[in-house]
Amino acid sequence: MKKSYVIKRILYSVFVFAVVITLNFFIPRIGVEDPAERYYPPQGNMSEIEYEIIKQATREQYGFDVSPWQQYLNYLEGLTHGDLGMSFRSGSPAVADLIIDRLPWTLVLSVSTMLIGLIIGIMFGVIAAMKRGRWQDTVLLNASTIMIALPSFFIALILSFYLGFEYEIFPAYTDPNMVSNFEWTFASLRNVAQNAALPVLSMAVGSIIGYAQGTRNAVIAVTNEDFILTAKAKGLKQNTIRYKHILRNSMLPIVTSLGMSISGLIGGQVVIEQIFNWNGMGTLFLEANNMNDYPLMMGIMLLLSGFTILAILVTDLIYVLLDPRVTVGDKR
Amino acid sequence: MKNKLSIKHRILQEILKRLKNIGLFLKRIWSHKQGKIGLTVVTLLVLIAIFAPWIAPFDPYDVSDRTLKGLPPSTTHLLGTTLNTGQDIFSMLIYGTRISLIVGVTSGICIALVGSILGVMAGYIGGAVDSLIMRIVDIMLVIPTLPLVIVLTNVFGRDYWIIILIFVALGWTGLSRTIRSLVLVLKNSNYVKAAELAGASRWHIMIRHILPGTSHLLIMSTALSSAGIMVAEAGLSFLGLGDPTAISWGKMLADAQGGGALLFGAWWWIIAPGVGIFLAVFSFMRIGIVMEEILNPRMKQSSGVYKIFKNLNSAYVEDVFNSMDDNQKIGITAATESKRKGKEETDGTGIET
Repeated sequence: MKKSYVIKRILYSVFVFAVVITLNFFIPRIGVEDPAERYYPPQGNMSEIEYEIIKQATREQYGFDVSPWQQYLNYLEGLTHGDLGMSFRSGSPAVADLIIDRLPWTLVLSVSTMLIGLIIGIMFGVIAAMKRGRWQDTVLLNASTIMIALPSFFIALILSFYLGFEYEIFPAYTDPNMVSNFEWTFASLRNVAQNAALPVLSMAVGSIIGYAQGTRNAVIAVTNEDFILTAKAKGLKQNTIRYKHILRNSMLPIVTSLGMSISGLIGGQVVIEQIFNWNGMGTLFLEANNMNDYPLMMGIMLLLSGFTILAILVTDLIYVLLDPRVTVGDKR
Repeated sequence: MKNKLSIKHRILQEILKRLKNIGLFLKRIWSHKQGKIGLTVVTLLVLIAIFAPWIAPFDPYDVSDRTLKGLPPSTTHLLGTTLNTGQDIFSMLIYGTRISLIVGVTSGICIALVGSILGVMAGYIGGAVDSLIMRIVDIMLVIPTLPLVIVLTNVFGRDYWIIILIFVALGWTGLSRTIRSLVLVLKNSNYVKAAELAGASRWHIMIRHILPGTSHLLIMSTALSSAGIMVAEAGLSFLGLGDPTAISWGKMLADAQGGGALLFGAWWWIIAPGVGIFLAVFSFMRIGIVMEEILNPRMKQSSGVYKIFKNLNSAYVEDVFNSMDDNQKIGITAATESKRKGKEETDGTGIET
């Protein structure tokens, strides 16, 4: 029973991924008769014949000279060995290489944001839930009502204004040489940490509040469960109930939502990276968008969607491990 | 059916009934402290948006007077002027309300419409329709939203109505999933069964019996998704990917960053649009959250993260529910029905803030 569910779930993820690949391939091609035209828009001082020659060369270089269906098959074939196609930028570098160069820098931001949010958020959330109705709880509730309506890019601008320009505590723009000069030394790592401080801080504020609120609600929900009452009735120690029964059970939804939240984080990071000029996938995506470089845009979208699919799959499988009843009726 | 007059009469009656319901609902929101704040601010913003040309003291598009560059807030220029063009920020802020509200509220309403129709169809008709809609939802959920919106604006253009369409096309999924699980419960309730036995058509049941059961959820979702879309629209304009001809709060922030407001200490240029976004999002969210409390008094306060948990849990609960045999299901449905009835009885008096 369990095994068949797991296989079914994995096959379904593969199906979703296949659809996403297809959509990813065809959406940027909507309304474009000739991809070469998009790559190289007509320019005023160019004769018809010249332009035609350039387009023909482009088509051959990027494999646009076959039918869209054949292009799709070629794209799929390339995917099987990790080839995401060629970027439209000069020198036509491979999309996969461009992404791999930027991916670690994006992950630096999102993982540290998540860790900070998780650790501090869970702490605040547990405190608020334990002191329900007292000032700690009220502070959290009020903070979350305010923070939830503040977009992260506005927080980023304010932080960059005060901490970056007015008081110059942290650099307001990322050091452009940070990536090229990076090596595994203490000074270099410190440089990265300093440059990452403001972007991480501006995203972490929302993240902390979010996790704190989630933890608070989860803890309160578990506290109201019957088995906590039973534990109390059995005369267990207050601390045993708190840490072994309540906390452990309320952490489950938070841990399982982590995977989902990190891919959301990377997607939402585009704006923050742009504000601080951070050399990550968000800025790469915007560069690609400005240059109509859609092989690159497709590559990034594919990576992010694949990541989300994987995260949802893992979440679901964890649920199966935790609760065998899920296996019987698979309706999702 | 009956003759024309009676149909007209019935439609009129129906509309009156609906209006009265909305009035009652607004009254209930008003009775909450939070809801009062939300409703007041939203009304104010709507008035500002409508009467923008009369309220704004200067022409926000006027870039002709170069002596006005970079003035700090004063009595003539309430929120100062921009550094590079000398536009009056207060007037820009007032005009920006229009874009934010139009995009947010229109998308919110359309999302509620599309989401409820597809959700009810998936839940009630079931079978192939259900799996088709839910497959689409699953696929849309895994594609990152902001990058996808950027790609689509690149493909289809940046007019505001296109941006609204894109937001609606991407935004309905979460709502329809929630509605579907609600419909799965309503479907087994006695009054639907009775209607089925009486020979009512599928569409009649869906529109007259099931849709009204989800209406409160729809109003709530409209408020919440309007707020979410205002943030998304501001982000899009901030990236320079919104409509380039209009003044919007996100674009003001982008101009401020690009025009050196950070470097030259023009704080008023950053704070003003930020406060605009904050007020609009905050008030819509208050209304949404108060509605959520009215609908579900057990669950106080919620946040985005908690919503993820809730979705996960509802999908999970649904799985468990589907795995039960029919007798158990009927028992549970009856229990939730009676619980709901009990809640409704206590609801009128038992609202806390």
